Amino acid sequence: MIWHITKRELYDNLNSLRFALTTVLLFVLMLINAIIHVQEHPERMKKYRDATTASVNTLRSRTDLFSVAQEGPGNLYKKPSPFYFCEEGGDIFLTNYVYGATTVQIDNNLRAFWSLYYPGAFPNVFNIRPDTVKVDWGFVIGYVLSLITILFTFDSISGERERGTLRLMLSNSVPRHTVLMGKFLGALASISVPFTLAILMNLSVIYVSKDVDLGADAWIRLVIIFSIAILYLCLFIALGLLVSSSVQNSVTSLVILLLTWCVFVIFIPSTVPSIASGFSTNPMTYDEYFKRRHQNIKELKEEYVTLSQETRGFPDKKIQIDSEYVAKGTEQEERLSQEHLMQQIAQVQLARSVTRISPVTLMQHLLEVFAGTGFERHQQFLENVQHYTSEYREFIIDMDRADPDSLHIIGVREGMSQQPVNPESIPIFEDKLSLSRDFNATAIALFLLILFFVVLMSGAYLRFISIEI
Amino acid sequence: MLSTLISRELLDNLMTFRFVATFIIMLLLVVTSTSVLINDYDRRLASYNAAVKSNHERLQERKTYSSANWDVVRPPNLMSIFNVGLDKRLSNEIFSSWGLVPTLWDGQLHGSTNPLLNLFTSIDIVFIFEVILSLMALIFAYDALAGERERGTLRLVLTNPVSRAKILLAKYISAMICLLVPLLISLLFVVIMLMSSTIVSLKVDDFLRIGGIVLSSIAYLSVFYLIGMLISVVTRRTSTALMLAMFFWGFLVLVYPNVILVAFTSAQSSEERLTPAFNQIEQIWEEFDRERKDYLANDPIPGEDSHLGVAGGSGFFEIWYKQKSTLLYTYITASHVDRLDDEFEPQVPHVQDYYRSIVPKTIDAAERAWLVRKQALESVFFRPAIVDRIFLRLSPVGMYDAATQAWAGTDLFGLRDFYEATRKYRRTVIDYLYDKDAFGDRQWFSADKGSVKWDTFPQFSFQSSSVHINAKRALPDLMLMLMMNLILFLIIFLVFQRSEV
Repeated sequence: MIWHITKRELYDNLNSLRFALTTVLLFVLMLINAIIHVQEHPERMKKYRDATTASVNTLRSRTDLFSVAQEGPGNLYKKPSPFYFCEEGGDIFLTNYVYGATTVQIDNNLRAFWSLYYPGAFPNVFNIRPDTVKVDWGFVIGYVLSLITILFTFDSISGERERGTLRLMLSNSVPRHTVLMGKFLGALASISVPFTLAILMNLSVIYVSKDVDLGADAWIRLVIIFSIAILYLCLFIALGLLVSSSVQNSVTSLVILLLTWCVFVIFIPSTVPSIASGFSTNPMTYDEYFKRRHQNIKELKEEYVTLSQETRGFPDKKIQIDSEYVAKGTEQEERLSQEHLMQQIAQVQLARSVTRISPVTLMQHLLEVFAGTGFERHQQFLENVQHYTSEYREFIIDMDRADPDSLHIIGVREGMSQQPVNPESIPIFEDKLSLSRDFNATAIALFLLILFFVVLMSGAYLRFISIEI
Repeated sequence: MLSTLISRELLDNLMTFRFVATFIIMLLLVVTSTSVLINDYDRRLASYNAAVKSNHERLQERKTYSSANWDVVRPPNLMSIFNVGLDKRLSNEIFSSWGLVPTLWDGQLHGSTNPLLNLFTSIDIVFIFEVILSLMALIFAYDALAGERERGTLRLVLTNPVSRAKILLAKYISAMICLLVPLLISLLFVVIMLMSSTIVSLKVDDFLRIGGIVLSSIAYLSVFYLIGMLISVVTRRTSTALMLAMFFWGFLVLVYPNVILVAFTSAQSSEERLTPAFNQIEQIWEEFDRERKDYLANDPIPGEDSHLGVAGGSGFFEIWYKQKSTLLYTYITASHVDRLDDEFEPQVPHVQDYYRSIVPKTIDAAERAWLVRKQALESVFFRPAIVDRIFLRLSPVGMYDAATQAWAGTDLFGLRDFYEATRKYRRTVIDYLYDKDAFGDRQWFSADKGSVKWDTFPQFSFQSSSVHINAKRALPDLMLMLMMNLILFLIIFLVFQRSEV
């Protein structure tokens, strides 16, 4: 029986105006999305490759251990994800590199070692073009498809009730939950048909162009993304059924649904973050950061000057002190920039988690994770960078330790190994996208999305069971 | 007869659920966003004040004319609460010097505490109207005629001796009254909230601007109502009308503004297109540098650096800034000598002569470079931005956005006024320095005989353009919307006149 109802719903929908409009709209959007991606992605990859090659070449041009240890690896770049078309995730607002070079001058002849600095991205400061939202899958699913879902479901029960066909159907010996499930599946099928076709068209355009290498685990990612999209669709279908079975009149149902949609899809994602970030403590501004940095360096210099005057005439001691202050300067510089970054991230994280009351944000966060873009990915990149940093520093110590002639005083040229370094042996940073970590990050978001769905669906069930016709 | 029709329609509309629901939601959204936006404005104002203060302090610390700090800070625009436009986005701390005519590309963002927060989209009041008002108008309009036709009441009405035009007019007027109620009341709330907040003081001009925004909102609302009515008059069934209206809304508000610009991005990168201008600018500066070096070579004290050896170059810096992507090219020097030994005293007049002749030459080179730069920036950045906005105007949303931005003064031209003002300020400072003969003064480079007193140094102040300029900029879009109203109404009238009931 349930299949019978589903089939009837599907046939009804396939002939309708909304089905035709949906198909056209989705195809156009997905085609545009694919074409843009095919054009932009090779360029992005080329930029990334050129930049990394440049930094690797400078790194490999250094021959002695001291300058390798002092100058550092230069800029470390974030690898662009090939799934940009799925969800852009505000990647332009996240920097695509971390700066690793020496910046602190302790004395005329003494510089601290390299440390990490996290620059901010201000892509719009000089941009006078109008604001637009990127047309990615996240936008198509989150905004367009959810609106379409509402238009498919708002009259599914109230409309039948108005026409009196609901009474007719229920006069057969069909349990109500079967009717509801039939309606649900019918709506799901009639929306996912054009959606799936549009997605397949989109992927085939990207696949045929050959310019985009999606990587080995691409199909797993795409299947997961597709499932998330379907789950999101189900959520809105359940909402539609709930409202549609709660009110007598289809127009009222539509008005309620549209207003709910506006609030949850459009307003909450843009108002709640600014409220939430207002409540959390503001991170230090760039002015404060530079002021503190300046102060730190000044104190370090003063301390160093007094100490180095005391040790004048004792070269052994001087080397010890130099080494100590190089380490100190490096560490304090890195600690400060780390602190700055952490404060910024904490504020964003709070705002992001509060915004999760909107299903569209939840869905986009999930998509971001599996597409390898956005904030979670940025944090993964930062983790990779930090991991590499410690690897790099260990490499220096190991190289130094391997040389029996070295004094093993890191930080000063005379105290370190004088042997030439094999450029091939210096560790090179390579950013990786990994799936294993992604699953953990998404557990909560996925749980919330399912929870929303279950609540709405059981609400719809309870309403539908208890309505009088 | 008309009044009977209007009052009937009005009652019909006012008693509906859709009216009450939209009214409440609209009010709720507008009030919450206004409080968020006022907070945001407050934060930006505080950061502006801090930046002005620190700029002022920096100026007071400087001891010589050449090291003076001319940076200019852009105040936040109060009207950005209504439509933020470019106000929050573009550089708001602008570098300027005698060697650099400032543009919006020569600045940075002060007080950007957390660049990561840009991940979140932000909204303004006009955006709420853009979305909700249009949706509301369509929901009110889709069954205006199709519904009556379905129920058969249209035939009933037309059996009376009423002209069809009157029926249309009655429907239009009554629905517009219904739609204006939530719009005006929520705007009233915004104004009350603005007036009761302590940080904001509204002037007469601001009220006029808000009035302009209200006017544009009404025109926008009416466009969407008429679109809905047109759909209603051409379709036979309400359900078809509703679907068409909703898809049309989704297309105009959600899809079109985001899709259209993608199709028109220039294939050639801006970098390539800036190359000829950059070469020209480079030539101007190289010529300047040659002259400068010639001067040094012919100087009575041979073999010295550009500072002529005074104080051995301490407290002196000289820098060439070059950036091709924004055509930035400038030569900046500053020197502040604290103490001058007697042995250098004979050289001082030479240094004075050097600066007296070289600084005006720098100014001249900067101005010639600016002429080239202006044109290149205009064609590479401004023109595409304006073309983009023309494409956006094909949807009423774009027109409404442009009109309200113009009223608020946060549009491209409103912000351009500010950068124009920074250039004027630079001129003022240069004139002031000429008046004092500062370039040839000992205090240009040395503070050993006392530092400069900054009391009379010109202060930057920016008056946002007067309301009639805003009106002039908003008028084309407003007219466009009104014209669209007229055309839509005519089409509806013609279709309705011929349609069978």
